Amino acid sequence: MGAIGDFFTFIATPLYYAISGVLILWHKLFTALGLDPAGGASWALSIVGLTLVIRAALIPLFVKQIKSSRNMQLIQPKVKELQKKYGHDRERLAQETMKLYKDTGTNPFASCLPILLQMPIFFTLFHLLNEAAKDYTARGFLTSTLARQFGDSKLFGSIPLADSFWGSGVWREGGGDLSVMLLALFLVLAMTATTFFTQRQLMSKNMPADALSGPYAQQQKLLLYVLPVAFGLGGVAFPIGVLLYWTTSNLWTMGQQFYVIRNNPAPGTPAFAAKADRDKAKAAKHGTVVEEVEAPVEEPRRPAVRQQPKKTTKQQRKSGGSKPGGGTQGGKK
Amino acid sequence: MKYLLIGFLRLYRAVVSPLYGQVCRYHPSCSAYALEAVTVHGSARGSWLAARRVARCHPWAAGGYDPVPPSVRPTRRSAGPVSTSQQGA
Repeated sequence: MGAIGDFFTFIATPLYYAISGVLILWHKLFTALGLDPAGGASWALSIVGLTLVIRAALIPLFVKQIKSSRNMQLIQPKVKELQKKYGHDRERLAQETMKLYKDTGTNPFASCLPILLQMPIFFTLFHLLNEAAKDYTARGFLTSTLARQFGDSKLFGSIPLADSFWGSGVWREGGGDLSVMLLALFLVLAMTATTFFTQRQLMSKNMPADALSGPYAQQQKLLLYVLPVAFGLGGVAFPIGVLLYWTTSNLWTMGQQFYVIRNNPAPGTPAFAAKADRDKAKAAKHGTVVEEVEAPVEEPRRPAVRQQPKKTTKQQRKSGGSKPGGGTQGGKK
Repeated sequence: MKYLLIGFLRLYRAVVSPLYGQVCRYHPSCSAYALEAVTVHGSARGSWLAARRVARCHPWAAGGYDPVPPSVRPTRRSAGPVSTSQQGA
């Protein structure tokens, strides 16, 4: 295991520096704002800040993903054709759909690498916190003084950030710590709720009705059981500080999802209709209030309608014509 | 080692994948690819193939159908010992 261990140390060292660096910058800020440097609030907020920094750094990837899913409405008829043709064969359907996405340069999915890259960050934070609590280990930019503060910090003055549900179970000698267990439980429930809600929003609002029957619907039902188990396992094992990171990240994901569904809905879905209505109402409002604004609102519509005839079927043209928000993405550039 | 990796990948696909829904821009998804690659090519080459696939799965990639390359040895692979039709990452 020596070589493998060395390999991980080699990867982990820069991560320790990066993560402790960001964490300590936030900690300095909160301390400067008057929070107790050894208090739970300053460290808990620093962890939240770390999450925000990481998720904000990932925004360009997210924007790229949104851009590459913009033309989904143009290939929708082709996707339907494939569904008709290969509907009975899931494997083949998946192959052909992915091939279509590739050929058209349009892909609605987020890609795996950014998600997998976030996992080491999670584990680095876990180690940082764990070792700081155990023997005030100085890592990266975390000096031993800061490690002592970090490891000993208590949220609300009583809940140690480094304690976990499992580690402070009431069945333990000394009675454990019920407040840690309750906070962990609360965070697990919050994560389950946000993730489930995010997925549900995506499915009920941003998926065409015909995609809701069959595998997707089944998957969502399954999710209802799997999510509490997955988060529950993590929630029991990981310390409060790490769960804070996780929960914040989930909240961010949910916000991002709302933003997409609102501003970039998939065609032929309830969210799309809602956006079309909003755009129409907005245009009407602007039309009555200021005459001049009418023109720029009208503008983005035209190219969207104009480019349609060359590439789309009759069905597509019909749905395209009914939505004045065709310029949706164009308008937001 | 191989079975350790397979077990780990199965666990990942059962517990972690559902948290994200369909994320992968390819078919089979990265984790399905990794599982099949390790099963077919063994832990060393399988991990290498899987790592390369994950590195390919970024927001600038077009995605598409990207199956595990067949084993050099003429063993059975056609149907694939692993079902790759599952969703996830």
